[in-house]
Amino acid sequence: MIKVLFFGPIAAASGARELSIAHSPGMTLGHLKNMLAAAHPEAMRLAVMLAVNGEHARDLAMPLSDNSEVAFMAKFSGG
Amino acid sequence: MQASVRIQTEDFSQDEEIAALKGSSKRMGGIGTFLGCARDFSEGREVEQISFDAYGSMALSEMQKLRSDAIAKFDLLDARIVHRIGTVRGGDNIVLIAAGAEHRVAALEACRWMIDELKQRVPIWKKETTPLGDDWVTPHP
Repeated sequence: MIKVLFFGPIAAASGARELSIAHSPGMTLGHLKNMLAAAHPEAMRLAVMLAVNGEHARDLAMPLSDNSEVAFMAKFSGG
Repeated sequence: MQASVRIQTEDFSQDEEIAALKGSSKRMGGIGTFLGCARDFSEGREVEQISFDAYGSMALSEMQKLRSDAIAKFDLLDARIVHRIGTVRGGDNIVLIAAGAEHRVAALEACRWMIDELKQRVPIWKKETTPLGDDWVTPHP
């Protein structure tokens, strides 16, 4: 399974902070993003930054291994 | 002594953080600090409170990298970063950045660089509660 994390404005728009998505062979970050965009279009429109296992990720072709933790994040507003 | 980089709900003491920074080296000739505070007015309306959400583990890791990067980039003797999460009100402390160097220029430039980088790199989000409702904040330049 892939653990998907939402925070702040994306959690508010989707009504969820955490989702479990079935992993499939060859799955990429882009595949996961498209799946989530179909299910949560309003929330995912805010997702301008991504992280895989706690590290910034920009390459949508990045393969995802099973049990990865993927965060879809709105623009940060700390400080 | 508390860790140099922290995310916490409770308030922090600037005096304690600066004392800890100074205690790390007697070669320190300059300390630059940035204290971010909660405003009670924003975008033309009253702000009753500000709530912070964070991707805690990543935010802490990014803040630790940020401190290490600043120490290397500006040849600092030490640096500290403390960011609050949870809920704060107008006038409350939000974030403290302190940079200690042999001379003032490095300390001040590092401090400015760290707060600018923090806003770009650290996954924390703020929500303002106003009489008109709640708004997730759009970042300022």
